[in-house]
Amino acid sequence: MLRIVNRVLIGIVGLALLLLGGSVLAVGLGAPPPSWWIHDGRHDVLLSDAERTRWQGSGWWWPTVIAALAVLVLLALWWLTAVLRRRRLSEVLVDTGDGEGALLRSRALEGVLASEAGELEGVAHARAHLTGRRTAPEARVQLLLEPHVDPGTALHELTTRALMHARNSAGLAAFPAEVRMKGVKHRAERVS
Amino acid sequence: MSEPQGSEGTTQRLPVIEKAPADEPAYGPAPSGHDGDQGRFWSARRIPAGIVALLVLAAAGLFLYDIAAVRAHRPAMAWRRELAHGLAERHLDDTWVLVGAGVAAVLGLWLLVLAVTPGLRGILPMRRTHADVRAGLHREAAAFVLRDRAMEVAGVQSVRVRVRRAHADVYAVSHFRELGDVRADLNATLDDAIRGLGLTHPPALSVHVRRPGRKR
Repeated sequence: MLRIVNRVLIGIVGLALLLLGGSVLAVGLGAPPPSWWIHDGRHDVLLSDAERTRWQGSGWWWPTVIAALAVLVLLALWWLTAVLRRRRLSEVLVDTGDGEGALLRSRALEGVLASEAGELEGVAHARAHLTGRRTAPEARVQLLLEPHVDPGTALHELTTRALMHARNSAGLAAFPAEVRMKGVKHRAERVS
Repeated sequence: MSEPQGSEGTTQRLPVIEKAPADEPAYGPAPSGHDGDQGRFWSARRIPAGIVALLVLAAAGLFLYDIAAVRAHRPAMAWRRELAHGLAERHLDDTWVLVGAGVAAVLGLWLLVLAVTPGLRGILPMRRTHADVRAGLHREAAAFVLRDRAMEVAGVQSVRVRVRRAHADVYAVSHFRELGDVRADLNATLDDAIRGLGLTHPPALSVHVRRPGRKR
């Protein structure tokens, strides 16, 4: 979600900069602008006093400018806080199947998941954290692999053991996970 | 979980989960065919987004403050008068205007590229073994695995491995055995190792073997 918002907003800002800079560059280097364009030739100025103060007499101009700027400030503030906030799930709702539910602290589930993943064959260290909603949590797992293990095998072990146990113990219908694997830094050695 | 744990004090009695969830099929089977072919990891672009948001916030906030101050019959800040003056004075073929426009255009293009490309080039997507689990392997880790497997081949003295997104280049130094034999063994071993990585797009392998001391 945040990924899409970030990319759309970055794209809009980028497009605006590109169009503005590109058009000034093109006209400044002698390309003929269309008649309706803000600049009408390479000897035009960037923004003349007449253009800048064109609507200043109208009653609506300053309120509009101030409102637009205020909206822009609020939008940027919201965007910045969304980017800076680390989204982390605090608890998971365990459906007990009889209309009631129990709350499970995410940290507990994260700890269990990470320690069980860390005990798998060939995994030096594991970290886990939960995102998503409390009825539909998602896991992000980072594994640090030891040299002798095949990553494909490690992924299979992780899925069939650690992730499945976590899923079953929390009674979740689905438990999507994103796994990233790194290798332990080490010197070249014969591992067999 | 069948016993209520009174760790948090006075929680009400927890109901016992009766159906054993372990009986259900755990994770769905591996999606077959093209569904298993998942795409790249897409970066959230947090850092560029944060920088752009901060700059937009600063610029809009400054303008808002100053315009509101002028509305409240206070004098405008000097920079705004200078900015308006500069905009009305500078012609489009002025060198600095052209430089500024060029910088803005390049910056805009870069932001656009950031917005539409996936990024995270260092993470190779792995084949999905289960429908719910996406996995990625750092290229460095893939290179470690290949290097260690290559070291197992008899006659290999040292190995340097470079894994890129579509190619894996292996440079081995062999101090005994026929180079052709070593190369054949390396090819066989590393083909297996690459299969063991479980990537969606296994990198194409190219093996270079030479004697110690001699440069390529």
